[in-house]
Amino acid sequence: MLKIIIPTIMLIPLTWLSKSNMMWINSTIYSLMISMVCLPLMNQPCDNSLNLSMLFFSDSLSTPLLMLTTWLLPLMIIASQYHMTKEPLARKKLYITMMILLQIFLIMTFSATELIMFYILFEATLVPTLIIITRWGGQTERLNAGIYFLFYTLAGSLPLLVALTYTQTTLGSLNMLLTQYLTERLTHVWGDSLLWLAFMLAFMVKMPLYGLHLWLPKAHVEAPIAGSMVLAAILLKLGGYGMLRITMMLNPTVNFMAYPFMMLSMWGMVMTSSICLRQTDLKSLIAYSSVSHMALVIMAILIQSPWSFMGATALMIAHGLTSSLLFCLANSNYERTHSRTMILVRGLQMILPLMAAWWLLASLTNLALPPSINLIGELFVTVSMFSWSNFSIILLGINITITALYTLYMLIMTQRGKYTYHIHNIKPSYTRENTLMLLHLTPLLLLMINPKIILGTMY
Amino acid sequence: MFRGALWLLAGRGCVGRGLSTRSGGSTPDWTEKVSEIKKKIQSALPGGAWDPLYDTSHLPPEHSDVVIVGGGVLGLSVAYWLKRLEKPRGAIRVLVVDRDHTYSRASTGLSVGGIRQQFSLPENIQLSLFSVDFLRNINEYLAVVDDPPLDVQFNPSGYLLLASEKGAAIMENNVKVQRQEGAKVCLMSPEQLQNKFPWINTDGVALASYGLEGEGWFDPWCLLQGLRRKIQSLGVFFCQGEVTRFSTSSSRMQTSGGKEMTLKRIHEVHVKMDHSLEYQPVECALVINAAGAWSGQVAELAGIGKGPPGTLEGTKLPVEPRKRYVYFWHCPEGPGLETPFMADTSGAYFRREGLGHNYLGGCSPTEEEEPDPGNLEVDHDFFQDKVWPHLAHRVPAFQSLKVRSAWAGYYDYNTFDQNGVVGPHPLVVNMYFATGFSGHGLQQAPAVGRAVAEMVLKGQFQTIDLSSLLFSRFYLGEKVEERNII
Repeated sequence: MLKIIIPTIMLIPLTWLSKSNMMWINSTIYSLMISMVCLPLMNQPCDNSLNLSMLFFSDSLSTPLLMLTTWLLPLMIIASQYHMTKEPLARKKLYITMMILLQIFLIMTFSATELIMFYILFEATLVPTLIIITRWGGQTERLNAGIYFLFYTLAGSLPLLVALTYTQTTLGSLNMLLTQYLTERLTHVWGDSLLWLAFMLAFMVKMPLYGLHLWLPKAHVEAPIAGSMVLAAILLKLGGYGMLRITMMLNPTVNFMAYPFMMLSMWGMVMTSSICLRQTDLKSLIAYSSVSHMALVIMAILIQSPWSFMGATALMIAHGLTSSLLFCLANSNYERTHSRTMILVRGLQMILPLMAAWWLLASLTNLALPPSINLIGELFVTVSMFSWSNFSIILLGINITITALYTLYMLIMTQRGKYTYHIHNIKPSYTRENTLMLLHLTPLLLLMINPKIILGTMY
Repeated sequence: MFRGALWLLAGRGCVGRGLSTRSGGSTPDWTEKVSEIKKKIQSALPGGAWDPLYDTSHLPPEHSDVVIVGGGVLGLSVAYWLKRLEKPRGAIRVLVVDRDHTYSRASTGLSVGGIRQQFSLPENIQLSLFSVDFLRNINEYLAVVDDPPLDVQFNPSGYLLLASEKGAAIMENNVKVQRQEGAKVCLMSPEQLQNKFPWINTDGVALASYGLEGEGWFDPWCLLQGLRRKIQSLGVFFCQGEVTRFSTSSSRMQTSGGKEMTLKRIHEVHVKMDHSLEYQPVECALVINAAGAWSGQVAELAGIGKGPPGTLEGTKLPVEPRKRYVYFWHCPEGPGLETPFMADTSGAYFRREGLGHNYLGGCSPTEEEEPDPGNLEVDHDFFQDKVWPHLAHRVPAFQSLKVRSAWAGYYDYNTFDQNGVVGPHPLVVNMYFATGFSGHGLQQAPAVGRAVAEMVLKGQFQTIDLSSLLFSRFYLGEKVEERNII
């Protein structure tokens, strides 16, 4: 694991010591190379995990997420190039440093063995994200967004700290590899239920669960593009990853404690999809669609069946790539017209046809078109939810329909129809932007061929 | 700070080697720095002078989808219709920027407030027809929950235009066009005129056209306040400030004929606060120029008209302020309640104001006598020399009148053809115009607002086709002239 972490740390001096005209190029190329270095981790020799050291390990659940994280850094850097052009050089370097710092924490989080280390790095990821949102966001509302983001996540994760330290003292070890083999099971007493809640709340807020999701639309909309990308693609998955790891040791309390959260997720999934239909701000629409997809993941993790775990993992990876792609597309619109409102920028297919192709592919993957990996995730979750309770199929079916509706609404509003007069002199797509979209789409489409690498531990 | 610490270490080393006292050494430097830091901390505490998070509530927001430059009746009308016609509610963020929140020099408040359909251009007639409908049903359009209904004090007394022998044929033609568009106008011979309005002296009048319905005058201030109240309730931001700069970016594009043009986009509008150098760059997608008499200056800020004359780049927006006087007099023997808004063959006009035999009136000066638009001072001699003789000739009762007061206001005068400019600019792609109506802007404001909003949201005029009033006519030289200018 050090072969990934040390180069990532060394990206920081690379940024600061590069010449101004090579700064972006250097950081992009070297972070791409680091993601190549991550690939060999995919070679998992056995059902169990690849134990690399006392501190770090990687198994078939954390490896796809790790790949996603390392893949995303060069994409974030490519996406930020335009809106940072007017900043002074030191501030540009600081921005890239924040992204790299976030990357370091995320890599360590996903490969952490010890749960306390996982927790510390989980909290540590908040700081660079907060700095990115509040310092480089677009509008005055970003301060509010930063506060919501910080305090929701902090307040949710403080009980986790208490629960973890308690478990450490009673159990003796919080090594994830060992806790899988826990024989002392939790009971149905109040204390254990509260312990369960304490463990899960942090990740519920992070996912986010429907009732605790208020920070997400604010943070996603106000963040600059790199912030939105990393928030949508990775930080939400931190919650999913944490939940997947911790539910291993929380049986069987989960079986009845899960009900309120299942209700909230099912209802929230339909609600947030419906809100998407009425959104006028493009980024806000994509943010709410993230909440909707993550609600599926929460439900899948809470019912704890092999199929649902596979579906949850696949959905996390697929959604990470799709959501990040959609944010990049929305950002390419915003950079040209300085407005995120959908009705002011219409009919782009006539003017930027290649970008329209990327929009189409992004929308198709977002609405889980077969045979994309989004479909695999959603299908596995739907099937396992049906076997858990027959009636859930109604809500899930409604959600899938509404997802298709709002995704097509977004596509048709921005791409089709007669173009508005005032966009006919927008700059054509840069190669950089096309590269960015292609780099998002390539893993998304290639994974269709071999989705078993993202199906997680239960495959 | 680090340097101070290093100096200190170096200093200690020097002392250890037994050197004599240093002059201007690090220690006084260090305390100076410490006291500087202390001062900074103290000033950051409440009550201090340095406030990094200062109050910016007087500044406009940093981002707005549409910025409307000019908060008069045209600007507010555009804002209202934008908010009304946007498909999902609350989609667009609109900011209205006006330099003067007292509207002391705005044409709207200083206007005489007449509305007529007696124009020669069909578009003008249609605009006024819709505006009259708007005014009649103003409480359906501009109602705000829990607020009292608006009383725009519409006096539907009609317009009476008089024509001499020379102008009689044109007037007949105009009336035909007006009737085709749906205005209700009747033509009267001098005898009929004398019958209907016995106080008129029909000497020199060959024909008169009298508007039977939908013409009259209203209170422009009430319309302005009503619009303002409604759009505040719809969520439009208001800001008081002056637009000093547009940040644009250009791109060279080729027309289908192979000619190269430079198209521009406005990215940011710099709004400067009153009496200070503070300004806020507002990031925007669209700018609507509804600055009235000063639209020409705002257009120049965007680079319209900067180019070799005769080309599209070099075509300026030909709107400039022209001063017009309005006089308010009292005449106890004057015409009564049925007095229409009368425009004489000479160009002098008057209307009844209130119920106490008070009248408002004036006259448009000829090109040679144009007053200096630098200030709003009233020239009373103008009334004595140019207005009164014609009025007294036409209405004998006006031979004895007493001028109570007078004021001056600006026409946003379109020097090209005295008709409005509506729609986008061909080169500065995201600037739309709603200005240049040369004296009939107030009466057409509701309809023009709707037309501009349709152009912005749907890309074309849908209800009233104003494509003859686009900017490109200035470059192509196609004058759209109005023959009934008052």
